[in-house]
Amino acid sequence: MAKSSTHLTDDQFISGLKANNNEILNALYKKYYHLVLKLVVNNSGNSDLAQDLYQETIIAVYENVQKPQFQLNCQLQTYIYSIAKRLWLKQLKKNGNTYLFKEEEENDLVDVTEDVGFHLEKENNILKMNTSLGLLGEPCKTLIQDFYVNKKSMDEIAEKFGYTNADNAKTQKYKCLQRLKKYFFEKEIELNE
Amino acid sequence: MRPVDLFDAYLKNELANEQRNAFEERLNNDLTFKTAFEQHKSLIDTLQSSEQNAQLKANLKAIHASEFGNDGKIIALHPKGNFFQHYGKTIAVAACTALVVMLVSFSWINQQKATNGEITELKRDVEVLKQTNDVIVGEIVKTNTKLNYAPASFEGSAFALNNNGYVITSYHMVKGADSVLIENDKLNRTLTTVVYTDANLDLAVLRVADIIKVKDWQVPFTLSNKSAEIGEKVFTLGYPRKDMVYGEGSLSSLTGFTNDTTMYQISIPINPGNSGGPLLDEQANVIGVIRGKNKVAEGTGFAVKATQLISCINTFAKNTNQTDLVINPGKKSNIKGLKRTEQIKKANPYVFNVLIYSSAK
Repeated sequence: MAKSSTHLTDDQFISGLKANNNEILNALYKKYYHLVLKLVVNNSGNSDLAQDLYQETIIAVYENVQKPQFQLNCQLQTYIYSIAKRLWLKQLKKNGNTYLFKEEEENDLVDVTEDVGFHLEKENNILKMNTSLGLLGEPCKTLIQDFYVNKKSMDEIAEKFGYTNADNAKTQKYKCLQRLKKYFFEKEIELNE
Repeated sequence: MRPVDLFDAYLKNELANEQRNAFEERLNNDLTFKTAFEQHKSLIDTLQSSEQNAQLKANLKAIHASEFGNDGKIIALHPKGNFFQHYGKTIAVAACTALVVMLVSFSWINQQKATNGEITELKRDVEVLKQTNDVIVGEIVKTNTKLNYAPASFEGSAFALNNNGYVITSYHMVKGADSVLIENDKLNRTLTTVVYTDANLDLAVLRVADIIKVKDWQVPFTLSNKSAEIGEKVFTLGYPRKDMVYGEGSLSSLTGFTNDTTMYQISIPINPGNSGGPLLDEQANVIGVIRGKNKVAEGTGFAVKATQLISCINTFAKNTNQTDLVINPGKKSNIKGLKRTEQIKKANPYVFNVLIYSSAK
């Protein structure tokens, strides 16, 4: 078990996350899973729910770490535990459970209201985006993703989608994008909050 | 050029310096233009982070599967409310503990002078044993295609309390644990929740988290409220290593370490990993839980008396309305008349290896 990754410092974890280092993400995931597992299982959850919650927690941490102004003002463990607890309480509340929260006294907490808020807003936007892309349908969806996410050139796109030239493809992309904007910003999309 | 194309070119850093400056100046002066640009940018950002998010999610799932396996991937069939009843009842626990603290400290104060030598708790440090295990099973591991789990922080023994999925082990093992799993030949590693602990009796009651796994349980033994006698033949089952080990001996004293009246002294060879295992009498009634051994005197083991555990668990169960935890002390073992080998065969599925995972050093 004495792999070098277990001796990473908090700073190394943070810079690894910033740099999208998969090995460090793996080590981080391994290190704190049982902390969150215990939190969930001791408070009306099971291991499946714990896995979901832990993954959301890591995503929230990841998103916050990407912020240029991010600074860790406590131990990483405290930060992760605090976010996990906040997210789990939210979920329990959503299910309408009121009960006494049982936890280990040795787990410190830190105020993560802003960080969790940041994550939830992001999550909400992503949900809205996925719904909008669904409404947009094909071939618009793939066309938009190819251009903005996969960074394909207009020539490549024209060839893939069978448009006569890049300008034509560009016009198509423009039309698709206008529709996406309409769905994303103007139309109120019903979300299952 | 459409504004959108201009926005894209700017975001992709494709504008020449001159155009770029002009673009930024317009952002500063033209509010409508600026709003349109920001809207566009936030749309593209969300588009990109949505893809990133999906990738990260898939990545984490893969990490989880490779590090922890998909153990117990059974869809929860139990009614939702089931888990919500068992927790947060600290008051009852505190009250029960307080009572025991009083009793124990009385006897402790009275008998402190007899102290000589410490008690060794017999949880098995996996790190230490790993080396020897590696040598023995080295060849097998290479060809084993089964999922490899991360090694537990340490391991010990446990046994089933009743058919409702409750399991007893030692408190000193689960203390500070992040998660507690049990396993044996019949039961794949299974997550449990710690329902109740009592530090003074070194007692921990666990419950199998997934109730489906215990639906066929027919626990053959029960905790006995009958006080055992000196000289009685006793035996224990436990996991000082990965396979169950039988140990036999006799009850040597009705008091334990430093004359502690909550414990028996026994003469059974016990080793690290035996902690939390059951101590059974000739009729296979559980009369105690293995607690530890004397550091200096060989062959002196200690077990917490079942009579003590029954009263504490029943008080807790009553105070928290957990009727499925109440122990009926009059009940006799179902395997009392059998030969020892048969008794062990029947008891085997209900004695577990406990795996403790803890991030604390």
